[in-house]
Amino acid sequence: MAVTFIRTLIIIITLMVLMRLMGKREIGEMQPYEFIITLIIADLACIPMADVSIPLTYGIVAIICVFLLHQILTILEQSGSIVRRIISGKPSVVINQNGVDVVELRKNNLGVDDLIESLRTAGYFTLDDVSYAIYETNGSLSAMPNSKKTNANNSIPLLIVAEGKIEYHNLKLLACDKDEIINFIKKQRTSLKKTEVLTIDGGGRVYFKEKNKKYRITDFRLKEGACW
Amino acid sequence: MLVKTIISILVVSSLLIVGSIYENKFVKKQFEDFNKVLTVLYEKIDDNTATQDDVYAVQKNWLSKKRVLHIFIPHNDIKEVDLWLSESATLVRDKEWKDAISKIEVLIELSEQIPKTFVLSWENIL
Repeated sequence: MAVTFIRTLIIIITLMVLMRLMGKREIGEMQPYEFIITLIIADLACIPMADVSIPLTYGIVAIICVFLLHQILTILEQSGSIVRRIISGKPSVVINQNGVDVVELRKNNLGVDDLIESLRTAGYFTLDDVSYAIYETNGSLSAMPNSKKTNANNSIPLLIVAEGKIEYHNLKLLACDKDEIINFIKKQRTSLKKTEVLTIDGGGRVYFKEKNKKYRITDFRLKEGACW
Repeated sequence: MLVKTIISILVVSSLLIVGSIYENKFVKKQFEDFNKVLTVLYEKIDDNTATQDDVYAVQKNWLSKKRVLHIFIPHNDIKEVDLWLSESATLVRDKEWKDAISKIEVLIELSEQIPKTFVLSWENIL
């Protein structure tokens, strides 16, 4: 019993550390430890059920251990913010008044495309549709609509530059090439390397975010033949 | 809610601690008894005086223990002891003392090793 208990404990702690390191994209609607417990309990119940050579006690003890750990973690979570932060992490503000916070995204192993995807799921199709966006500890995205924005978009923006890298596939849809984008970035008095986010929609509306600067909305003249 | 959680933690922890201690002591005791019976049989085989009934007596002793041991020990380990005992019964009947003694030696070793898997040690945890 004691050996099974300690073995279960070691596996759970390992999983918890790994889940916390994986960031928020791997969780989805659950606290990290809740996710691990759900993941483990199913297997713990199945193994002694299917393998008759293992005494049922082994499975029962391991499941009880998981329950015990869950109760302890619940109490620890309620006991203080530091413990809560260690166990479940803290919400990440990925869009603030300055625009997309790439550093915060990176901390959670997320990219700009992941953020755009989450925003679309939440019903926002451009990055400036929201004034704040927060990845909660359970992996879901909460967004506060941008009250300053009045004009509606006609097309969905395409991600052209993410963290200094050009998305060539999206570039093709807008019928423009790398040089045009680099020239556009130069006109903004910066470089490709310093460009954190650049999106362009079918009407040529640009969301431009430079490193350590507030985002700006500008225009890009699209050529004829752009199929977006 | 918090009180209920704390009570459940205390109850479950105590159950696990008491259960672990009981399991450890129970398994150890059962195998110590079994080991004594096997040692007597070993000596008889060594003197070439053992009969098949002696082995059957050991088997009967084992049968009474294994019913409860199934709760704690992997069933394959129990099956192993069953097989070695059956083999030694036949060997004793045929008076093949050399082979019979080696079978009993394995059983003695098993009766010493199985309880060790319940001890809190690095080998068992890792």
